[in-house]
Amino acid sequence: MLTKRQNLMETIKGGNPDRFVNQYEFLEIILEAPLRSRPSLGETITNEWGVTMAWPEGQLGPFPVHDEKHLAIKDVTKWREKIQCPSVEFSDERWAPAIEHANSVDRQDQFVTVFFASGTFEMTHFLMGMEDAMMNLYEEPDHMHDLIDFLTDYEMRYAEQIIERIKPDALFHHDDWGSQTASLLSPQMFREFFLEPYKKVYSFWKDSGVELIVHHSDSYAANLVPSMIEMGIDIWQGVMTTNNTPELIKEYGPQISFMGEIDSGPLDHQDWDAKVIAEHVEKACTTCGKHYFVPCLTQGLNFSSFPGVYDAATKAIDEMSKKMF
Amino acid sequence: MSKIEEVRTNVENGKTKLVPGLVQDALDDGNSAMDILQAMVDGMGVVGDRFSTGEIFVPEMLIAAKAMSKGVDVLKPHLSGDASASLGTCVIGTVQGDLHDIGKNLVAMMVESAGFEMIDLGVDVPPAKFIEAVKENTGVKLVACSGLLSTTMPAMKVTVAALKALDMTGFKVLVGGAPITQEFATEIGADAYAPDAGSAAVVAKELVAAA
Repeated sequence: MLTKRQNLMETIKGGNPDRFVNQYEFLEIILEAPLRSRPSLGETITNEWGVTMAWPEGQLGPFPVHDEKHLAIKDVTKWREKIQCPSVEFSDERWAPAIEHANSVDRQDQFVTVFFASGTFEMTHFLMGMEDAMMNLYEEPDHMHDLIDFLTDYEMRYAEQIIERIKPDALFHHDDWGSQTASLLSPQMFREFFLEPYKKVYSFWKDSGVELIVHHSDSYAANLVPSMIEMGIDIWQGVMTTNNTPELIKEYGPQISFMGEIDSGPLDHQDWDAKVIAEHVEKACTTCGKHYFVPCLTQGLNFSSFPGVYDAATKAIDEMSKKMF
Repeated sequence: MSKIEEVRTNVENGKTKLVPGLVQDALDDGNSAMDILQAMVDGMGVVGDRFSTGEIFVPEMLIAAKAMSKGVDVLKPHLSGDASASLGTCVIGTVQGDLHDIGKNLVAMMVESAGFEMIDLGVDVPPAKFIEAVKENTGVKLVACSGLLSTTMPAMKVTVAALKALDMTGFKVLVGGAPITQEFATEIGADAYAPDAGSAAVVAKELVAAA
């Protein structure tokens, strides 16, 4: 039997996988690595970027607070006066748990993976609110380009640190580029502002030894796939059923692989049903096939919002492997 | 192209710097403020349709709305302030427990562009606050409830039930958001459902016209 890492490579290279890659099994994500502050459930904090994040009780995750009082950038022409770049230097003590975790991983079996969030596009609207971030692309393009370059530079300096400490094999990178049914930007605007910065940063990660770039966007983003390929993404994680994934696989298969097609929204809730999950998994596997595709809940990271859902999907995928391989 | 057509086209294309001057030109040319306003409303209707079909995206919709807003600023002193100029008041909010606002903001923008006065309650809005807004504001024709998370669908159900239980008529309830479907909207007793901001404005006008 192939190792998880080998099986993933056979899947994304169009070779001979011996089973479906089961969700995130090929990635051992080192979440202990220091990054940015995040609120706990019930908490509201202002992080190192000056972005206020709230996580109300009963909610699935934190969210930026963008009332007038809490916007980090109110005038993009003055962004340099408002934003301090967080330090990427962390003590040996902060790094220790992450290094210990990474050292425990069998790299023949799995990719030691680092997680980076929030990506550059998300950061622009976390800092100034969605409406201003979108409109400033039209009204203040030069300032937006400068801010995006600043954010890209920060990521590369962070990458230097984590690569030195952890020596990752893979990167799991979070940046949502769309809603369920549309990309947030037109492909042309996306290319104009974000393609070159992402090419730069993903090339940096890869030139520094990262073998696999897995980009998370649990959304529609089919119209951005050519840009994803050009910037060096190997796997797009979070691909929702709204993207017509079988057609994407047919068109782009050897150049990029697709991880998702099991939409979390209808399945990951309080009244979840293993039978329904199994139906969605079966449809995903039978329509998308064995190559260039990893069946996976679309939510980012290897867990579900409601306990048991992720494991139910894992079990259903194992069943599909028995049926189809 | 007439001055009014120029106003409409430049609103559609989001020309925020040009629209104010073009509106003034149209006024100077003898066009009524109401006719110019209607041209801008029509332009935003085109924008909404283009958004719904995927021809344009969020930045284009926002910048068009801003262009219209700048045009309306020029028109304001010339508008009579007659309440009949408005289609009515729309109360909008994201339901309790949900902090997502961009979808709600886009709908608010499009519904306002269609001719409604907006009362935006913000995010994480409890049912009681929706009810308070309906009771305390005159001319409420529409209450629009937004929710992005499947976990807040119960809150939407409770909100719609509370609104429907009010001993008041004269307003309709419109719901929308990522996990919301027509089926769910019907199940919880909403009067209408809209899948996106562009169609929300169309549905809003239809609801009010049918009332």
